[in-house]
Amino acid sequence: MTTRRGHPLLPYLLILPTLVFVLVFTVYPTIASVVGSLFQHRLNIPRYREPVFYGLGNYVDLFSSDDFRMILGNTLRYVVTVVPLWIVTALGLALWLSRPRFSRLRVAMFHPTMLPMVSAATVWMFFLTPDYGLFNEFLRLFGYTGPENWVSDPNRALWALVIVAFWKDAGFYMIFYLAGVQNLPRDVYEALKLEGAGPLVTFFRFTLPLLRRTTLFVTTIAVIGAFRIVDHVFILTQGGPSGRSTLLLYHLWQVRFDSLNVGQASAITVILVMMLLVFTVTNFLVSERRTGDA
Amino acid sequence: MSTRLMTGALIVLVAAGAFASGQAEPVGDQPVTIQIAYPVAVDAPVAEILDGYAEEFMAQYPNVEVETIYAGGYPDVKTTIQTTIDGGGDAPALAVMLATDLFDLANAQYIEPLTPYLDAMDDGQAYLDDFLPAFLANSSYMDEIWSLPFQRSAVVMYYNADLLQQTGHTVPSDWESLAQTASDLTERTGDTVTRWGIEWPTGWPYWLFQPLAMGAGRNIVGDSDTEVYFDTPAAIDAIGYYNSLSHEYGAMPEGVQASWGNVVPNFVSGNTAMIVHSSGSLSNVLSQADFEVGVTGIPGRDGGSYSVPGGGNLYMVSGLSDAEKQAAFDFAVFLTEPARAADFSIRTGYIATRESAFADPDMQAWIAEHPQAGQTRDVLASAGKELAVQNLGEVRTIFHNYLQAAFNGEMDPQAAMEAAQQEADAALEDFR
Repeated sequence: MTTRRGHPLLPYLLILPTLVFVLVFTVYPTIASVVGSLFQHRLNIPRYREPVFYGLGNYVDLFSSDDFRMILGNTLRYVVTVVPLWIVTALGLALWLSRPRFSRLRVAMFHPTMLPMVSAATVWMFFLTPDYGLFNEFLRLFGYTGPENWVSDPNRALWALVIVAFWKDAGFYMIFYLAGVQNLPRDVYEALKLEGAGPLVTFFRFTLPLLRRTTLFVTTIAVIGAFRIVDHVFILTQGGPSGRSTLLLYHLWQVRFDSLNVGQASAITVILVMMLLVFTVTNFLVSERRTGDA
Repeated sequence: MSTRLMTGALIVLVAAGAFASGQAEPVGDQPVTIQIAYPVAVDAPVAEILDGYAEEFMAQYPNVEVETIYAGGYPDVKTTIQTTIDGGGDAPALAVMLATDLFDLANAQYIEPLTPYLDAMDDGQAYLDDFLPAFLANSSYMDEIWSLPFQRSAVVMYYNADLLQQTGHTVPSDWESLAQTASDLTERTGDTVTRWGIEWPTGWPYWLFQPLAMGAGRNIVGDSDTEVYFDTPAAIDAIGYYNSLSHEYGAMPEGVQASWGNVVPNFVSGNTAMIVHSSGSLSNVLSQADFEVGVTGIPGRDGGSYSVPGGGNLYMVSGLSDAEKQAAFDFAVFLTEPARAADFSIRTGYIATRESAFADPDMQAWIAEHPQAGQTRDVLASAGKELAVQNLGEVRTIFHNYLQAAFNGEMDPQAAMEAAQQEADAALEDFR
């Protein structure tokens, strides 16, 4: 099937459903958010119930607010901590559990992923209870005598969220590495064995580079996942104490549904999308360039 | 004006009239389906109870079909209503949302005033007057009534009456005796606390904090919907007192406590002597505690008992057809009938919302058996206004942030409250 000029039509027809989906559910909302962010649009103030042009006012308001800068800082610290934890653990688990005799353990490691975040966070709320919570009991085994009120301590609340997210999703990212590890070329490893290569050399010079594509994929979805998960904030800390565990997406919810400020919520959406876009594109370019070098 | 123009205008008028009358078709017996959105994250089996009421209602109004939609907590219900209406969908006709959400909901036109339907009732005013005044206080705005009290509670202090008696204490009546009693009742083995004198959750702190500020002489909110009183000596002293319970008396865990879900189990198991909580937990507390439970308001600095109401009201969501509106209103009135208000109170521990519910025989028998249910109502007699102002979400977050900073010792109470006042004033500026 071709058009008169000889361009094949079929490929375009085949991507049409996806294209429509992306346009409707990704491109259009993004553009709508960019446009919406330029307006003062607050549903609970009669004169701003219909959008009034505000230029970059929403962005100025956000970036001049100490609270918003703190929230950005919280979010970055959270992502920069939880993503490496996920990836290192996922890779470690995958290498360990790739042998068939560990298949049952894989299920055990994967099971937290199957829980809804709300349930996981509720369970962890009891683990993290001061005094008799299991988590503190566990830490005391190692001689921990520090503060125990994880979710309400200004310097610990964010880490409580990291712990729960880490526990819940490390197994999820392990699955991708398992697939990658099981597809590694056997002959390379046989050759390495014959050559007498040590485990460190094998891992850093061969396994890790061979898994680069998997790592690119996993880091991308892990970063997006870290920005996207928000349920545990609702259950464990409500962003507190004093906003110390407020993440960007939780704040977006607060601004949109608690303060009814549609314009500012759109601006936060744009900031969120930009951050993810910059990260994903950089990650992709760096990884592709390295592939070119190799 | 030319004849042609006149004729044209006439046609338009007639057409518009026909259209309008077509819209406002009188409510007949055509079947109508309404939905009610309800938060179930409370300490009682409300889903089961509400399903029962819906069945009863449908038996009485055969042309109305009631569907119940259960969501987690109050914010989930509110978000559901907002997203459905903003997205142009058919929202549930009725929703139980926080009584304090009134201003934002009405300003954003998510809800419909009930006044026309109340006026059409035979005894609308008498019906309204029967609600406990503290509960109805959150229903008026812009000269209209917007909601009916339904799932209502108040801040109370539960105390282990047996323990107080055994240790020779009377019920604390002021700040000094509360702190002293809590301190006496705290037990330690070495460094480990085996029983706290008092627990006072502060993960979502404004509500349980309000009675303290009132007891120090000034509520944090007044009659106006655009004024807050965060930086008054009363609020600052109240923070100082709260902190002293842990720092000076060692009778309470230190700093912010996100312990809302833990303190009731702690109390009923005897691990905490007194807790500050919602009266909505009463049935749960009574059914689980194997000791005599006492209920009182929060003692003031120089005596007296203080509290604020809380909980959810029934709202009619906007964008309904006339038939749906009428059915929704009928169901709302049905839910608030005295016998049902009494039944709901007995089965959940929420405070019955109407005077006449307390005259209900079942209710009287229940109160005779459980005097605590009557005590929660007495607490309401001295209750002040719950924090309800314009732009509530933002103002509340500001207050929480600074209050928690003061509880956690990150800021001096005075500096924290001054900053909170300043930011809250800025957030309310657009509404004045």
